[in-house]
Amino acid sequence: MATVQKNTRFKADERRRNADHVSFLKHKKFRYLWIALLLCIVAGVGYAMIDQDPRPNGGSWYGYTLGTIGLLLIVWLSLLGVRKRKITTGAWSLKAWTSAHVYLGLAVIVVGTLHTGFHAISWNVHWLAYFLMVIVIVTGIYGVIVYATLPGPLSSNRNEMTRAQMLEALTALDRQLESAAQPLDRQQSDLVIAALGQDVFYGGAFARLTGAYPLCKTKKALRSIPEGLGASDGPEERVRTLLTKRSDQLGQIRRHLRIRALLEVWLFIHIPATIALLAALLAHVVSVFYYW
Amino acid sequence: MAFLIRTIDFTSSGREIVRDRTVDQSEVTIGRASENDIHLPDLAVEQHHVRLKDAGGGVLGAEAIGGLGFDIDGRTEKNAEIDPNIGAEISLGSSRLAISRDADGPVQIVIKQVEKDEGASDALQGFALASALPSKRSMAWVLSLAILVLLLTVPIFTHLTRDPVENDPENIGEGQVLFDASWSSGELSMGHHDLEDNCEACHVTPFVSVQDETCLTCHEELGDHAAMPRLKDGMPALSQGDAIQWSIAETLGKEGPLGCVSCHSEHEGPVKLEASDEQFCSDCHNELDARLTDVSFGNASDFGKKHPQFRPQFYTAHFDEEPKRVSLDDTVVERSGLIFPHDTHVSENGGVARMAISLDQYGAPLECGDCHSEWSDEALIVKVAEDGGRPSQYGDFAPVEMEPACEACHSLVFDRAGPNFRSLRHGDVDDLMADLATMNRGPSRPRVEGRNRPGQFARGGRYYSNFGRPMSAYIAINRALEPTGVCGECHIPTSTGGRRDLIPVNLPDRFLMQGHFTHEAHGDDVAECTDCHATDTSSEATDLLIPDLDSCRDCHQGESAMKTEEILPSSCAMCHGYHTPTMPWRPEDHPDQPGGGMDNVAAILSSLRR
Repeated sequence: MATVQKNTRFKADERRRNADHVSFLKHKKFRYLWIALLLCIVAGVGYAMIDQDPRPNGGSWYGYTLGTIGLLLIVWLSLLGVRKRKITTGAWSLKAWTSAHVYLGLAVIVVGTLHTGFHAISWNVHWLAYFLMVIVIVTGIYGVIVYATLPGPLSSNRNEMTRAQMLEALTALDRQLESAAQPLDRQQSDLVIAALGQDVFYGGAFARLTGAYPLCKTKKALRSIPEGLGASDGPEERVRTLLTKRSDQLGQIRRHLRIRALLEVWLFIHIPATIALLAALLAHVVSVFYYW
Repeated sequence: MAFLIRTIDFTSSGREIVRDRTVDQSEVTIGRASENDIHLPDLAVEQHHVRLKDAGGGVLGAEAIGGLGFDIDGRTEKNAEIDPNIGAEISLGSSRLAISRDADGPVQIVIKQVEKDEGASDALQGFALASALPSKRSMAWVLSLAILVLLLTVPIFTHLTRDPVENDPENIGEGQVLFDASWSSGELSMGHHDLEDNCEACHVTPFVSVQDETCLTCHEELGDHAAMPRLKDGMPALSQGDAIQWSIAETLGKEGPLGCVSCHSEHEGPVKLEASDEQFCSDCHNELDARLTDVSFGNASDFGKKHPQFRPQFYTAHFDEEPKRVSLDDTVVERSGLIFPHDTHVSENGGVARMAISLDQYGAPLECGDCHSEWSDEALIVKVAEDGGRPSQYGDFAPVEMEPACEACHSLVFDRAGPNFRSLRHGDVDDLMADLATMNRGPSRPRVEGRNRPGQFARGGRYYSNFGRPMSAYIAINRALEPTGVCGECHIPTSTGGRRDLIPVNLPDRFLMQGHFTHEAHGDDVAECTDCHATDTSSEATDLLIPDLDSCRDCHQGESAMKTEEILPSSCAMCHGYHTPTMPWRPEDHPDQPGGGMDNVAAILSSLRR
């Protein structure tokens, strides 16, 4: 009997271990994908079959039904932010929540669009809520895609260095530059000072996302101290070599920044737009019944 | 190969202590053990950690001796090449060894102790995108507060604190509520376009749906389709689903399926008010007699298949005060009090045709339009208005007036006064009497003098006809009102209180009162007058020339009929109106709409095609 129990437990552990390695997208054999698809199909068939008089409208009974489903889904989806901060185990696993969040979130775009009844777009709080919803969902889709694709490039760019090591490498180069540049003249010294003085994280979000740093002082210094300026083992050449190393190191850091920015940027839209969407939904629902 | 090993320490007061020593050997070992050339008393350093040796060509090779690697220029390695001319920095534990060489000098190894960098973890924060963007939380706060304040709080506050204004359709102003345009789910219909900036004109009370009484502040003249209890009784029972919906809606303040807004849904874009479809009417009228047993009209659901026979109104007996409605299926005899054979008048040959040809005013046999004028004549409208009427009271045609329509042939001239002729006043027997009393009663001179033919051809003789102008001699007061007198040509004589009189003319203003018909849509290219009105075979004024249901059905079938060259699918609204049962639904009643008025048939056709 003991062996049986041991086997059962082993299998259970194996299942758990295997489950740990299944992506949230494939969680429980795409359970929430099927649920979401079913929801979309039921909503779509209902929309097509139920005759709305005079025409499909968010204010018909079917429109109210879809609107209520959509609203409850959105509120629940936004609660992922609360759920992920509560560490629990078991049936309400965070992976299940995330899987449901992704697939049911995609279903919301179908439910929400049917709720509009395909009315003409105009500038009002109702369409504001709709477009915020679309923004949230589109950024969410982007998030899923980058989470699936970018960690690889991020890891290979690291080249087995931690972020601290990258910074340390840069400061080590900076200390060497500092001493190597001692023999340089005023103008070149100023270039080196400017390069060393520039914050490693200089450049805004746009520079991070694009990887374009047109005002990089290290590059400027490199351009201004051209190859072959002094003797091949002279101070200019040493500084130049060190600047090239610095530029390479900056390049690695900036690639890291770029991939991280691409990985994170959607959240800076997804989260504020979600909260704004909740506010817009409140305004949408209240205004509709206030001016009933 | 020589190495200059420079150790830099700091005293507790921060003063630098520099110790130089030169080792002239081909390699240098670094480690915690004291036998190393460079001895670093640091537990993080291995006993024998790194060996630096000449790798030839002025390049130093660095290799890890123990199991651990070493940090060179920030990265951890086990082997590295160092060009002292460029320099490198090896980090072991808390020591930092900077390797360099001045031109042709020995390789310098400068050893410094470094403080643990407290700011390192802070610096790592810089890798997160959050360091380059405003925080998600602050963006969320700003956006959601902006929405809640501008799009919710401001409209509600200004709506609650507004000064309510009575609606005035003649003077629609802008509303007082701020930003509530953002609540509009779509543009209003064209008829309500002026209310676009005045939401509270309709949305009066918070959380209460638009009420009928608010609609009626502007549309007070609108007729009820039927009185309210009858309207409700006439409706078929709601389906279970509808009943549940309406009970919920009525609990929440909607006014039920007979409220204005249940049919007139707004904010559907700048559309014209559409006529209802056939189903809308047949929902109730298909089997109305089962629910309202006392209705006088039959059931209807489809003009081609189920529609009662027309019941025009006309006078069925002389001297009647009011016209009666009679089904065209019954015996129809109109008692208008007139004598008028249509066939004689419209015949293309015969005496009337010859007469008309001889007159400049016609120049051809009579046509319908010579007597029946459409309302296009401004003067006619003015004249009717002066008599207290309005064109819509009649049909497309103005009432036939005797003087312009008949007098060219049926002259009322009775006397000559100088160069002018005097005509009898038409319309009142007393006037006629007065006019005749002034008539010259002298005998009429013979029309042709000196050339009388012999025989019986003379006045009073067998062959005699007076082709001359009407002269007093031929109109005697006692003969004018006789069947052979001038009045008797068209009127039926009678006597009132022993005095000669005429039966009053009784013609209804309109024949079909419950439906709309436009002759314009049935113009020359569609039909001739005689296609519908049997004037050419009607010899008596008692014939009612209103076409019956079947003759309309030659072209008009129900909404579901297939459109062909001959058949026009026709919904109820083509002839009937909902709010104005005695008047049809007409676009010209909604003058604010573009294209209103003349294109009603086109509009109905386009709605049919939908």
